[in-house]
Amino acid sequence: MFRVWAIPLIPLLGFVYIGLLSRRLSRRAAAIVGCSTVALSFLVSLEGALQLLRGEEALTATFYTWASLGDTLVRLDYRLDALSGSMALIVSGVGFLIHLYSVGYMHGDRGFNRYFAFLNLFIFFMLTLVLSDNLLLTFVGWEGVGLCSYLLIGFWYEKSDPPPAAVKAFVVNRIGDFGFLTAMVLLLAQVGTLSISELLQSAPGAFEAWPVGALAVGLLLFLAATGKSAQVPLYVWLPDAMAGPTPVSALIHAATMVTAGVYLMARFRPILELQPQVLEVICAVGAVTALLAALIALAQRDIKRVLAYSTVSQLGYMFMGVAAGGGVAGMFHLTTHAFFKALLFLGAGSVIHAMGGEQDITKMGGLRSKTPITFWTCLVGALALAGLFPTAGFYSKDLILADVLHFGEWGRILFAMGVLTAGLTAFYTARWLMLIFFGEYRSPHHHPHESPAVMTVPLVLLAIFSFGAGWGEHAYAHFVGRVLEPPEGHVPGQVIAWASGAGIVGLLAGFLRYRSLVPGPGPAKGLARVSERKFWVDEIYDALIVRPYQFLSKVIASWVDGGLIDTALVNGSGALVRAAGRIVRPLQNGQIQVYTLAMMVGLVAALGWMLWS
Amino acid sequence: MPTLESLPHVLPEVALAVTAAALFVLEALWQPRGRARRVGFPLLALGGLLAALLFLVASPSSAEPRFFGGLLTQDPFSTFVRGVAIVATALAVGLALGSPSLPSNRRVEYHGLLVLLALGMCLLSSAGHLLMIYVAIEIVSLTSYLLAGFDDRGGRSAEAGLKYVLFGGVASGVMLFGFSLLFGLFGDLSLSGLGQALAHSTTLSTGAGRWATLLALVFVLAGLGFKIAAVPFHMWCPDVYEGAPTPFTALLSVGPKAAGFAVLLRFGTGLWPELATDAAAATSALPWLLLLGVMSTVTMTVGNLAAIWQDNLKRLLAYSSIAHAGYMLMGVVAGGREGPGAVAVYLAVYLIMNIGAFAVVSAVDRSAHSEDIGVYHGLGRRAPLLALAMAVFLLSLTGLPPTAGFVGKLYLFASLIHHGGFWYVLLAVVGVLNSVVSLYFYARVLRAMFLESAAGEPAPVSLANSAAALAVVLAVPTLALGIFWQPLAAIANFSGSLF
Amino acid sequence: MAQVGLQHFLVVAALLFALGIVCVVTRRNAVAVLIGIELLLNAAGINVVAFARYGGNLLAGSAFALFIIALAAAEAVVGLALIFAIHRRLRSVDLEQTETLKG
Repeated sequence: MFRVWAIPLIPLLGFVYIGLLSRRLSRRAAAIVGCSTVALSFLVSLEGALQLLRGEEALTATFYTWASLGDTLVRLDYRLDALSGSMALIVSGVGFLIHLYSVGYMHGDRGFNRYFAFLNLFIFFMLTLVLSDNLLLTFVGWEGVGLCSYLLIGFWYEKSDPPPAAVKAFVVNRIGDFGFLTAMVLLLAQVGTLSISELLQSAPGAFEAWPVGALAVGLLLFLAATGKSAQVPLYVWLPDAMAGPTPVSALIHAATMVTAGVYLMARFRPILELQPQVLEVICAVGAVTALLAALIALAQRDIKRVLAYSTVSQLGYMFMGVAAGGGVAGMFHLTTHAFFKALLFLGAGSVIHAMGGEQDITKMGGLRSKTPITFWTCLVGALALAGLFPTAGFYSKDLILADVLHFGEWGRILFAMGVLTAGLTAFYTARWLMLIFFGEYRSPHHHPHESPAVMTVPLVLLAIFSFGAGWGEHAYAHFVGRVLEPPEGHVPGQVIAWASGAGIVGLLAGFLRYRSLVPGPGPAKGLARVSERKFWVDEIYDALIVRPYQFLSKVIASWVDGGLIDTALVNGSGALVRAAGRIVRPLQNGQIQVYTLAMMVGLVAALGWMLWS
Repeated sequence: MPTLESLPHVLPEVALAVTAAALFVLEALWQPRGRARRVGFPLLALGGLLAALLFLVASPSSAEPRFFGGLLTQDPFSTFVRGVAIVATALAVGLALGSPSLPSNRRVEYHGLLVLLALGMCLLSSAGHLLMIYVAIEIVSLTSYLLAGFDDRGGRSAEAGLKYVLFGGVASGVMLFGFSLLFGLFGDLSLSGLGQALAHSTTLSTGAGRWATLLALVFVLAGLGFKIAAVPFHMWCPDVYEGAPTPFTALLSVGPKAAGFAVLLRFGTGLWPELATDAAAATSALPWLLLLGVMSTVTMTVGNLAAIWQDNLKRLLAYSSIAHAGYMLMGVVAGGREGPGAVAVYLAVYLIMNIGAFAVVSAVDRSAHSEDIGVYHGLGRRAPLLALAMAVFLLSLTGLPPTAGFVGKLYLFASLIHHGGFWYVLLAVVGVLNSVVSLYFYARVLRAMFLESAAGEPAPVSLANSAAALAVVLAVPTLALGIFWQPLAAIANFSGSLF
Repeated sequence: MAQVGLQHFLVVAALLFALGIVCVVTRRNAVAVLIGIELLLNAAGINVVAFARYGGNLLAGSAFALFIIALAAAEAVVGLALIFAIHRRLRSVDLEQTETLKG
């Protein structure tokens, strides 16, 4: 008897087992439990997918019925259909490979068992997010993956303050959560249910009389997705999140968690479609993100940062693909990207491992002969990222661009942005490859060595998928097409020509430029500097939000010398949330007179307001 | 109902009064030493509380809800809140066993005052008359002032007590002035009488009459707002919570707040009876609900924002409890049957999780002698069970599933959403936003416990004390009620009605 | 000379109330603040008695006034006890000294 809830539950059991016995469990046992539970849940997902292929529309299971809330019944349903099933397969499949890889990568780390416990917990939450048929349960997963991300980004920090990267990720994701929760509140208020399958059925009718509501729900859901999936303007956290262990970057910040937003959009397509503007906004934001992040990736020196910005950029592609056309293209790119980006991150991890912790690509070089397996697998991944025939990236990228070309009035402009991004992507990919694997070995110390088999085997497997997954395009489109609208016909020749042309030109330019050239140690010059400094977005945020706030506070303070406003505002520098927290504090200065005065002011304000209104 | 026939309905209060008197008298006459002192008196207090609880459960139902000529009104909601108050007090007695923050030679007074406080809370939650409200609030307040200043180890406790009495005095003075105006305007002191007069009065909607009514209502709000620690009447709260002995802080954060909410709800439904039955028809109560809505918004926002910066756990929990008052105000605004039901559910949940969190603080304090977040570093390794319990409480306070706190929040939001209307849904959205912000500081504690290691060689945290035991025990229902929430649904069903 | 009526009592009470508030907010001496609180309570008491006398509900008003007096005394006792406790420790009843709890 098939049980959908077994898929997320098995990794949870793994987490509980490793977590509870953490200190008594040997590393070997923790690794075996961690990997095997994820493998098992992959097998169960596979069995479920096979059942779907045999003709079932969806497999559902009510895990538990919470009590009723007024007229609303809160049931924890798991539902496996073609869309969620394909996601579950990616999460558990790629998750398993990364677990395996981690056994080698984290070898010798003090927190080995703790790491595997968190990783399993993450898989549980991610599968819950994907498979849930109840918005509340989805939110549990949504929050859970965020929590795990927060925990794992800060994994290597044991200092008193949480690392700024973890805090940034945390705050930005709260903005996204706000969108999610508010959308949930609106849906509950208007449609009266939280069950996703019911919502998708009855939302069009329920919002017929209230189009603004549909617009708001769509945009709020997209806000949630922008936070989780690192889109403009909320992408700033993802590159900083690379502070965590590299397999974590591969799993959470490339293959699975960050794609949750894309999945959310695909899942809620029927609601987004109610107001076509929403799809246009999503597509445009995706295009802008793709282009901007690709530009920033051009001049990054950190091996993982290049990949991080590349992920942001590719996520932009996915949003374009999910919004334009029927949505299958975006989901297919999500799948292929999970393979090749996980591969590249794990490859990067292997390089870092070989270099003894060095992450600056300008200090590497010539690793081709020293770490051959890593090199060849990374080459496959890079070609897939660049979208070169016949790798998987070629197929999925072309599918998206074909959809975008015919999308709305702005289709051609968005298409052009996509093609330009493709060229830039190929360029920075070539740069990344050349600086790491070609030329002279530039690091003065250390003798690089190839990683152990437990790390290279996942690399090879992922390379095979990155290479060949594209050939399953039609099968995938047919499968997921049961839920989303399948794409029509073939990709037109001109799209292939443009995209592949841009890719080849970019690759060639990159190979030629970085064949012998290595960026010097100082800051870059000219346009490269713009890219290296990440378009000064962090600085712009600082200048637009933080500085004016500080300026304003100083002006006010110079008027009102000392006292309340002085301490409240001048000290209130830093991030906006924290500043807001500080404004409240100085009143609480320990003086009872101030307390009673505040009470009186409150009374008078309330009274004045009521009389005035 | 006249006096004599009313007596069987207040047996819980009688039991509490007798117990409190017995504690004080026995101390004065007998002056026991040793074991009798350490164990006997807490047991006596617990016995009295248990008796009160039994009387409460077995209390006879009555067709006529008003007793003592209208002084007390008993309805399912008040019965529930009285239960919360008694259980909270019992937990505070348990927490105090062996606590270093209470001078050993004055333990008896501590227990006597606690039981007296429970009596005050019970009276307050069923008070249906301005005089009774005033007297009950003063019983609660006066005992609380003394208990807050009970710890004589340092200056903090005395300072807390002093600030509490001065701020509380002002608040109750303002409220009393409001009462006097209400009395003058309507010529009656019972809430039902006030409600009738308000409904039939025509002079109150315009000019000076309206002025005076609003003035009186706002003044009354000061006193009630002080009891539930709502902004801007909250400022005593962080200082008092931090300075007071931890076992008492735990009670203070729950009991008086619950009673305050009971009287706030009763005040609203007493003056505008339609609030109790039909929330949509509550237009006449609009200024009152509008005021409460704004107060709810400001309270949760200020509480959460201020909590972000706190390094002292007790202080952090104080701000968190301010925020929670804001959440519960949402239920008061929602009104109808669902609103009070949601408040009741939240009170039950809050009782468990908040006292649980304070129990952890108390347990850590016993070995580390500090409430600073620094001593929580690496607690996950030093005392895994305690840290796990704390994690459950913190997640529940945030309102994340699958904990009881989530269910409570869901009821509050749902009550607003089911009520419908733009402002109500907006308030729910603000509540959601605030929950999101609150994760920020609760997660800080989680981080400290599980991800950071302690500097130097920290003292081992002993689990062999009543506080740690209570914390672990309370963690179980916090989790269980998040998964099996039928008991909470039953509470919502039972206590949704006020008379 | 005009007859003394309800308004006169109300004005006195309101003035007393305002004085109480000013006293509470401005004085640094804890005892003075306590006195301010007593003013607030007595302002309410005057109101109640006046309303009872002129409004007709004499019994309820008088009872309320008695309770106000009794509880004001209780409040003063508790307040003074806590002020004593502070004085024992700090040798001062200045509220600027009791600012260790803040933030």
